[in-house]
Amino acid sequence: MIREVAWRLFASEYNDANLETEGGGERPPSYVVTPLGAKVNRVFVVGVITDVENVGTDGQPMWRARVSDPTGTFHVYAGQYQPEAAAILSKLRPPVFGAVVGKSRIYSPQAGTTYTSIRPEAIKAVDETVRDFWILEACRSLQRRLDAMTEAQKMDPLTKEGLRKIGVKEAIADGIVQAVNHYGKVDLSRYTAMLAEGLRYLLPEYRESAGPGEPAPEVKAPAKEEPSSEPDETETKVLEIIAALDKDGKGAPWEGILETATSKAISKDSLEESINALLDKGLIYEPILGRMKKI
Amino acid sequence: MREELAPHVHDITRALGNKVSEQEIERELSSYLNVYRVSLDTAKRSIVKKHGGNPATLAVGVSKALADLVPGDQSVNLLVRVVAVYEKEVTPQGQETKKILSGILGDPTATVGFTAWEPLPMVLAKGDVVRVQNAYTKEYRGQVQVNFGNRTSVAKEASTALPEYKGAAGQPYMGKPTPVRVVDLREGASNISVTARILSVERREVEVDGAPKAVFSGVLADETGKTQFSAWKDFDLKAEEVLRIEGAYVKSWRGIPQISFDERATITRLKADLLPPAQQLNISPRMWIEDLAERGGGADVTVRGILIDLREGSGLVYRCPECRRVLRKGACRLHGEVKGEPDLRVKAVLDDGSGALTAVFDRELTEALLDKSLEACIAAAKEAMSTDVVRDELADILVAQPIEARGNVTSDDYGLMMIVESAKLLKVDVQTEAREMLEGLEGSA
Repeated sequence: MIREVAWRLFASEYNDANLETEGGGERPPSYVVTPLGAKVNRVFVVGVITDVENVGTDGQPMWRARVSDPTGTFHVYAGQYQPEAAAILSKLRPPVFGAVVGKSRIYSPQAGTTYTSIRPEAIKAVDETVRDFWILEACRSLQRRLDAMTEAQKMDPLTKEGLRKIGVKEAIADGIVQAVNHYGKVDLSRYTAMLAEGLRYLLPEYRESAGPGEPAPEVKAPAKEEPSSEPDETETKVLEIIAALDKDGKGAPWEGILETATSKAISKDSLEESINALLDKGLIYEPILGRMKKI
Repeated sequence: MREELAPHVHDITRALGNKVSEQEIERELSSYLNVYRVSLDTAKRSIVKKHGGNPATLAVGVSKALADLVPGDQSVNLLVRVVAVYEKEVTPQGQETKKILSGILGDPTATVGFTAWEPLPMVLAKGDVVRVQNAYTKEYRGQVQVNFGNRTSVAKEASTALPEYKGAAGQPYMGKPTPVRVVDLREGASNISVTARILSVERREVEVDGAPKAVFSGVLADETGKTQFSAWKDFDLKAEEVLRIEGAYVKSWRGIPQISFDERATITRLKADLLPPAQQLNISPRMWIEDLAERGGGADVTVRGILIDLREGSGLVYRCPECRRVLRKGACRLHGEVKGEPDLRVKAVLDDGSGALTAVFDRELTEALLDKSLEACIAAAKEAMSTDVVRDELADILVAQPIEARGNVTSDDYGLMMIVESAKLLKVDVQTEAREMLEGLEGSA
């Protein structure tokens, strides 16, 4: 009956999860366990709500919102049983910074395929400072799990008691044992890179010097080459092109961007790289396929 | 063996409406117990279920000594002495606040906490010997707890039915006391040793078993934290002095664990410079909510987290002039329709990523957060013809905001609650902290 804690974790770690477990008691809560051992029943997410769509019917709406953070995208679904969240979602005008508290969900339409999502309890439009603070909290939380998992991978045999002895908290220790049993030995460098990515996102010095070569979170090595400053201009140019072509508010069409970019001596390859980098940084998003919009 | 089981065989047969013969039941019960080796309780329930009966109609529980109790027993019988009993208020989720009895039961083998969820037909007092039938057990914070539910019957027995309980008071401790830091104090710990500075102390008169008694209570601290204390003997304690207290125990008082000691304790006065000065010790320690949950609350602690939800009854409320309860639809649960007195408060979920607690802000704090007086809120509600406007404004200001709150944290079956003393919205220098973390990360890579 004790209220479940709201985990702060990045979309990319959450979406890596494909393990669901149940707790004890009369009405056992369900948990989504991530590869790093976060045992998530409730989440607290702050990101950019990039689009909201009714994927149900007019009579029985089901609102789907995409919430992006520096590492990936959360999918939030609100239907008739989440009336307050659904009402707020239906009125939001993306893009907007949004805070979401909700329950973890995992959906497996067929063996081997799983989708994680969030069933919201409350949604609120917030400002950038709240989002930045959330990223910092998510980084801290990720760091704690990384540290604990690093220790766990050295242990043989791995036990909850052993983890407790070296100071890992009960809640994390339990999740870690379940995660290791299910996922085996996960590659931690991917998550170290994710952590660095999250931290750099908060720092203006990296925003300015980041180039199109900015690796996606999948890249293993946490250390990154200092990109040259020249491509930065390309990104700025591309951003300007997208803003200029977005005449109806539905985003700039891809053909138009390519045409204008070519006329400004930007090659197709470097345009694609710039767009990917801008997407990663959350400076633009794709409201519908083939259209780009500035955030 | 046969004789012992006879009442249970009879009980099962009766629960099945005498549809099955006692011989058959006896054979089955013996098979469950001796071949499958399950507990008597499980065996009885399984047999009744197997024959299509309702296990809840079983009336004869299994008598056990307190030391033999394990969590999850559906039906146990006990012969125990009430070691302590007190009334407390709980508010189960989605239900009205109700009064329940809680306390400690003892027999010659152990002492165990208990909770009576339904009103009992008699008044229970400390020292009473009672026969309890059909109680059930659960695990609460890692310990077995006895629960009295609506199937449980409680009857008083002669005081001679059990030897007099000699527990916490009087009985000397065995062995060397365990040194404990203040931050590590846990409810139920006994025979501990603490080295601390007294920050404050005052004499109070209390009533123990109908007789007046002096207790010396205050606050003490070491480098790790501070705690309230109660000394049940006059040790001539003075503020500022540094002591080693050996043979103390930890007890919860109003939901907060505190250190207590009596004539069994030894006090050694130490050099004043052994610990930092009082001024330095008297800060409110910053704590994680998961640690507060493990400790069972704390006095004057500081928590940083996010207000992730406003609870029902936040904003402009009306209270009963008699009992101060918040009115629902203009009526008090006890005093019916009354003219309510307006008040402001916030009940919010504060979550720091390690755990969650309910934070309660009083009128003064709420006014400061809103930057609006109670009168202005009443006027705004009148104009909008609904008190919702005040709540909405609070939600606007508070929800999703990082906040630092200081106060006492109490603990009960429904989790932690902080009565907030002071609070401020947090302004965090995100860039500096991120830069530090990144340097640490790159340094170790």
